Amino acid sequence: MSTKAYDVVIIGAGITGTMTAFQLAKYSIKTAVVEAGIDVASGSTRANSAIVHAGYDAKEGTLKALLNVKGCEMMSQITTQLGVHYKKCGSLVIGFNNRDLEELERLKTRGETNGVKGLRIIKRAELAKMEPNVSKDAKFALYAPSAGIVCPYDLAYAVAENSASNGTDYYFEYKVDKIERDGEYYVVCSEDKAIKAKYVINAAGCYADEIAKLINDDLPFEIIPRRGEYMLLDKCEGKTAKHTIFVTPNEKGKGILVSPTVDGNTIVGPNANIVDSKADTGVTEEGLDEIANGARRIVPQINLKAVITTFAGVRPTPTSGDFYIQESEKCKGFIHAAGIESPGLASAPAVSEYVIDILKKAGAKLNKKRKYIATRTKDGNCKLFYDMTEAERRKAIKEDPRYAIMVCRCETVTEGDVVNAIHRPISAHTVDMVKRRTRAGMGRCQGSHCREKVAEIIARELNIDISEVLKFSSNSKLLMGKTK
Amino acid sequence: MKKKLVIIGSGPSGLVCGISAAKNGVEPKDILILEREKELGGTLNQCIHNGFMENLTGTELASNLIKAAKGMGIECMTNACVLSLSKDKVLTVISPESGYLKIQAEAVILATGCREQSRGVLSIGGARPAGVLSAGAAQRYINLKGYMPGRKTVVVGSTEIAFIIARRIKIEGGTVICVCEPKGAPLADKKYIKECLTPFNIPFRTMHNVTKIYGKERIEAVEICQLDKKGKPIKKTKEKIECDSLVYSCGYTPDVDIAIEAGMVIKRDTKGPRTKRNNETTISGVFASGNAHIIHKSIDKIIKESAGVGINVAKFLQRQANELKEKENEDSAHNDSEDKE
Repeated sequence: MSTKAYDVVIIGAGITGTMTAFQLAKYSIKTAVVEAGIDVASGSTRANSAIVHAGYDAKEGTLKALLNVKGCEMMSQITTQLGVHYKKCGSLVIGFNNRDLEELERLKTRGETNGVKGLRIIKRAELAKMEPNVSKDAKFALYAPSAGIVCPYDLAYAVAENSASNGTDYYFEYKVDKIERDGEYYVVCSEDKAIKAKYVINAAGCYADEIAKLINDDLPFEIIPRRGEYMLLDKCEGKTAKHTIFVTPNEKGKGILVSPTVDGNTIVGPNANIVDSKADTGVTEEGLDEIANGARRIVPQINLKAVITTFAGVRPTPTSGDFYIQESEKCKGFIHAAGIESPGLASAPAVSEYVIDILKKAGAKLNKKRKYIATRTKDGNCKLFYDMTEAERRKAIKEDPRYAIMVCRCETVTEGDVVNAIHRPISAHTVDMVKRRTRAGMGRCQGSHCREKVAEIIARELNIDISEVLKFSSNSKLLMGKTK
Repeated sequence: MKKKLVIIGSGPSGLVCGISAAKNGVEPKDILILEREKELGGTLNQCIHNGFMENLTGTELASNLIKAAKGMGIECMTNACVLSLSKDKVLTVISPESGYLKIQAEAVILATGCREQSRGVLSIGGARPAGVLSAGAAQRYINLKGYMPGRKTVVVGSTEIAFIIARRIKIEGGTVICVCEPKGAPLADKKYIKECLTPFNIPFRTMHNVTKIYGKERIEAVEICQLDKKGKPIKKTKEKIECDSLVYSCGYTPDVDIAIEAGMVIKRDTKGPRTKRNNETTISGVFASGNAHIIHKSIDKIIKESAGVGINVAKFLQRQANELKEKENEDSAHNDSEDKE
């Protein structure tokens, strides 16, 4: 059997990989995305603070600074185009003493150098008005009106679905274990499977160093897996903070934040602990205590009894401190997009353009596609019932009565939404895939009432027995056979 | 559509409210019970164990109540989910049979029951593999679908349903390694230990909590730890127990989504709507009943409260009718005098 040939293969379907696929889908070239996990956004993109940083954190002159500010500016257009929830809620870095104030002034200057607009130091009175629940000890804050919030996997799904609708192929559970040369092609292998491409983009997140090793290339830095733990609060506590609130950073980093989410919850976290395994996304008792204490420094009265779930993500922290996006010196046409830790989400749109510029310089011929689908799928942006207006809801039910069957009451998800997610270009065939696309099971009961309904719909739509339905990956069956 | 009384939820509380309102003067044809699920009966449908009222099973009690309500001529609509309720008592309802509906009610009873608290309140360490589920979900898989969520189970929490599900798993051929409870005493009545655990040799451990979950895709083991008096784990008592499922039951909370969106005042302690003595919420003519109002200790108490709510609603509707009549009389007297002039 001949190996399928592409112009570009992207390794990794995180936000960097999918955003690059989205930008490439505008051109008439053949692209594939290979992903070790079962779904888009299986690694760092799945679990992070969901913040579109303004760009005052990154050191002047770094790639991070450049791409963060630019990416943040691009976010509005992309999210509007694809119907992704995005809110420019602004961020506040609060300070408690004069030393903090000096640091905030420094951040402001840095941000202005980086090109961040509208930065302002505010005093107690204005801060208290903007954030009634913030600690009374907070005397000043750096206000960045351009910062925002977005759901990271929703954004990744949107751009991935758009690229798939425009002809990009996606291969899941495709863990790249060998890369060989075959004339002008790189053959990208996973177990007994192989595809080939003239250009390869290494967007493997935490595993980018391992991918580099497969072509005998060494990244000029190490990737350290750093785990960040989080708590998510019920929507009834969704007004705890109106902006993303940080404390003045210290040598350990940006620290713990309290922020609203685009879906109306409040998120608290993260800490930053180096872990042995890149796959260690477990939470710890000590870690949760640490973020609880951090959150209380910002909002002393925060109601942590309203925590509905806890989770953790692992970030690929480069020892160099900056993003590393360039063509391998040893292997022409092999482009690394590595060390993309925070603010990787905010930067993603700009990172992908940067990658495409390198591709062009490397010789890739990019001509605009004639027939380009601008929405998520050819049928539009797949609006959820929850987001529809009354008129849209009436119409949806009339066309498909399954939009009148409630699956998840906590988040108002209907059977129509679930069926739609199952049959989209990148099919949601596990319970967690449906959950992340529709929010079924993300509310206050955390799926205890809807998980089995979702499993039944998946079984019916895919024509399998319910005992075969997976939570997320191939060894995560929900059920263990029949009763007596 | 217009209805005198709309009851949201057809569990024991909703059904008893309807029956009681009808017995106390509300015309049965003016009562509408809305049920989100395919079947009437609410949580009772998954309770195949006995102990309800005069030692009926949950399903028997449900069928008795449904028969009674339908026998009286009360209208019941299944597959009908209430999306919202406005302050002037207009309900927005969706149903695959009837589409998108607006129903104007004179009185509404919230009988939406409760939900299980999520795993979040336990804050257990570890990842989130398959095989970790609430007791209610486990009960639905086993009793309604005929599937086992696991064969070697640890149960954490000590509500009635925690004990009942432990027994159920054992009866269905599974192993229950233990039931643990972080507090010093079970949340449910001690008789459940005698009925559900002792005869089945299931150990019950108070002052013990699950502190960690092992396994990335499917749960492989849990760490159980004894707690000190302050509720902090005593590290040297840590014990790793292999299992393929963890069932949790951390208590319940009233299902008040509709109430919150309608703008009712929710009490911080009970987490249910604030009510007057007649169970009327902060929205006039909207009443709360059963576990949607406050988490009750037993089914008997739910039924007693609901019967009372039915009477109170009947009184409210009577008063409304009387006031309307008086107003009409006044108006017509006024009109008469105008005519004379």
